Amino acid sequence: MAEPMKIRATLQGDVADVKVLVNHPMETGQRKDPNSGEPIPIHFIQFITATLNGKLVLEGQWSQAISKNPFLGFKLKGAKAGDKIVVSWSDNRRDKSSIETTVAGG
Amino acid sequence: MRIRASEVFVTSFAVMLVAIGIVGGCASDKAQVGKRIAPLETEKSASPRPWKRYGDWPQSNWKDFNTLVTNASPPVSRPPAVEYPIQGDAEKGKKLAFDRSRGGSCVACHVMGASTPSLPGNVGPDLSAIGAQRPDEWLFGYVWDARNTNPETVMPPWGTNKLFSADEIKDIVAFLKTLKTSYAFKDGGEDPNRRKLPPDDRDAMDPTENPALFALDEGKALYVKPGPNGSSCASCHADPAKQFRSWAATMPYYEPRMNKVLGVEEFLTRHARATTAEDYLLESKQNLALSIYLRNVANGATIAVDTSSAGASAALARGNSLLERPIGQLNFSCIDCHQRAADHWIRGQWLGELNGQLGRHPYFRTSQGQVWDLRKRFQWCGVAVRANDLPPDSPAYGDLELALTVLNQGRKLATPGIGH
Repeated sequence: MAEPMKIRATLQGDVADVKVLVNHPMETGQRKDPNSGEPIPIHFIQFITATLNGKLVLEGQWSQAISKNPFLGFKLKGAKAGDKIVVSWSDNRRDKSSIETTVAGG
Repeated sequence: MRIRASEVFVTSFAVMLVAIGIVGGCASDKAQVGKRIAPLETEKSASPRPWKRYGDWPQSNWKDFNTLVTNASPPVSRPPAVEYPIQGDAEKGKKLAFDRSRGGSCVACHVMGASTPSLPGNVGPDLSAIGAQRPDEWLFGYVWDARNTNPETVMPPWGTNKLFSADEIKDIVAFLKTLKTSYAFKDGGEDPNRRKLPPDDRDAMDPTENPALFALDEGKALYVKPGPNGSSCASCHADPAKQFRSWAATMPYYEPRMNKVLGVEEFLTRHARATTAEDYLLESKQNLALSIYLRNVANGATIAVDTSSAGASAALARGNSLLERPIGQLNFSCIDCHQRAADHWIRGQWLGELNGQLGRHPYFRTSQGQVWDLRKRFQWCGVAVRANDLPPDSPAYGDLELALTVLNQGRKLATPGIGH
């Protein structure tokens, strides 16, 4: 099941400050279940993208080195209040999730 | 409800209320929350039995030491006879003194001269010149069991509680004898008397900062999700923001049907079993999510618990004595760390006061990457002082939660929190 995300984008001058908290276990494949001793299967976000009004502005390839519940923060120059920002990820199990917000005026 | 009704009576009463709920609409709509007549399942445990400690926690069995409910710790003992002046290996003693696997190391509480490792604590006195100040006999006796010299001490009885053998303590004394000159820190961040608390400017209610807010969403969803018998929380409590705007701030409470104190979490387990037939065990993801939701709607409410009944005041008295009860191989009570030694550094961690601990649970522990409620925190505190943990629905934890809540009265709920 696709895990939820949280997003917020606020305008400071002509720069949008975007903050995203992703709810994902980001299992490295190296950990063992502390109770059963069984290895926990690898499960991590591979691709993450952000678009501004449909235009790709950020593309990332993540690995199992990224922490659980990753936080993604970035700044977008030239954004205006009301612009639509969409952040999407897909992981190694082909789960996907996406969240959108509009840039709030500063 | 009669106090101490028989268990058979209680069960049938709970079943009866459920029946009313299904047949004739929810009885509890009119019966206000807070009147304490909610249907409860009272027979079963609210957590797995036998309780098994979390697999990623230390697994030692400290059966030879007190828990909150069992007496096992050895009494104060005199140090064994050894030859003075002490012949020990100062190098070995230094290693033992700084070994974190042996009870946290001396540096957790003491500055120990120029060789002090990073981030010493200041619960105990600076020992940088102790070797010039105290004779061997005094040092050996104090490390063995400081209670012989100072009954008010919070120092663990290293010898009596078998954290170090007599020979190891001789080595430690030999190391202490090498400490002769006071030490001035160059770096104020290293000096526990000058070190400042790092600023905590996190906004726990910012959804992009606090992952526990994912659990809040989950709690909202569970609230309206029908249980196995078709009812959900919302079937009876249609307007949680209004109906529960202060409920969580009045918890925990003394429950006469069970003769124990129930917190929000255990109440949820038992009330859900009796109404929606869901089984949300304590410390489960669902239980934490619902607890966060029902506390969150009470955010801003002032913590105020009712201890007026005879049962509640007896529970409070028990809880207050538990606060002072030394437990575990390290022999710490709650007040040792959070009252006597409060507002000091234990290694790199700040010891807060008892008043100030509550209001934010369940909270996201950044050090664990998990949401913990207060009972899990109690269990962890026990394991950290090397005392066996109890099941989370143990009556002793209920009494302790009540006593701690009374000390935190007047504070406002702000759930979920975020912290180390």
